[in-house]
Amino acid sequence: MLHSGDKLLSYGLEYAGCGMEALICFLLAREGRWRHLKGLYLYVAGLFLLDGVGRSAALNYFGQRSRQYAYFYWLTDVLLALGAFLLICGFFRRASAKEEKFWSVVRTLLVFVFILVVGMTGLSLSRNYSHLFSKFIVEFSQNLYFTCLVLNTLLYVMIQQLAIDDEELGLLVCGLGVQFAGGAAVLALYHLTLGENFARLIFNFFNPACTLGMLLTWIYAIVKTPEPIPVGSRSGKAALVEAVAE
Amino acid sequence: MIMAALVLMISTGLFFFYLQAVCQKILRRQFSQEFFTSIVNANRLEFPSVRKAIEDFGSPVEYSRLTLTLKCDFLALTYLLKNAANVNQRYSYEERLLIVYFRVVFTTLMMCHWLKLREAPVALKLTAILEYFANVVGERVNTVRFGNLTASDYLLNL
Repeated sequence: MLHSGDKLLSYGLEYAGCGMEALICFLLAREGRWRHLKGLYLYVAGLFLLDGVGRSAALNYFGQRSRQYAYFYWLTDVLLALGAFLLICGFFRRASAKEEKFWSVVRTLLVFVFILVVGMTGLSLSRNYSHLFSKFIVEFSQNLYFTCLVLNTLLYVMIQQLAIDDEELGLLVCGLGVQFAGGAAVLALYHLTLGENFARLIFNFFNPACTLGMLLTWIYAIVKTPEPIPVGSRSGKAALVEAVAE
Repeated sequence: MIMAALVLMISTGLFFFYLQAVCQKILRRQFSQEFFTSIVNANRLEFPSVRKAIEDFGSPVEYSRLTLTLKCDFLALTYLLKNAANVNQRYSYEERLLIVYFRVVFTTLMMCHWLKLREAPVALKLTAILEYFANVVGERVNTVRFGNLTASDYLLNL
């Protein structure tokens, strides 16, 4: 059971997260960077609609202890994790933009892993739908988050190995890493302690705090790093000519 | 249970790794010029000499002097970050994160000393954070002008 002060902090973190999601959408739209970061824009918009609007509406309509809210919360969590998986695939594409052969191998692997994850997710959820709120959903979400974390870490290692000079991409990947690592760790702790009070408390605070950390890192990446000039574009060539002339 | 314990350990490790990576990426920010030199000269900060000593001799100066120097520079720079040419008189989010990062790395330096491990790489990390802070202060101060002088020129001519 959360005390009123804890509740206030928990709500504060969640509303701050919603505010940040809206701010990212606004920043991307205002600076026209959504064209260059389409995947991110779609993911944040989805996050805002499902996490910010949908969950709040379900909470107000059904109440925190209702079964409907619990279903809505965990199923949207799975959807968001799958969305993040696709976002990581998009980042893989961006990281291997100059290595077409490498990308063709990575693409095949990613498609295979995605089909595997979606298949396993669908199968597990349909088999356990009647007793979704047992230990199953926590273990399932923990494994899904951990899969995304492993994939994200592979992407990070790839960026380092290929020495890709893209600060924005690096920060976006680190932000996702904070979110997935924190989420997976908290779910694992919850699972290990069988939902003890202190694990519940950490779950309530740490999860929104990790999301907030990810969003703040992304805002920093959008605001403070210069927009990369696409290779082959006229402005890119003009900038290159100017740089050589100087 | 074993799987959950493994996930907990690896995820916790990676969580701190990613936080550290975010800090390192913020520290790699390119400034339009070396703003930190004017701030170092005006405030008689010592971290560049610590860095030079490490780069030249491979090891930092005496430990007690090293910690005192870095701590004093940190206090001076965090004060300037908050109060020098800062209209809001508060730290930004990335500055708060780097302040926490400095404290964590500083604790690591103390632990390295106790465990008799190499202190030089940790001390270099600390000087990099201080240089970033000095650059931020210098950049801010440089935008404020007193007549024909920038604030940093003004400070140097005092």
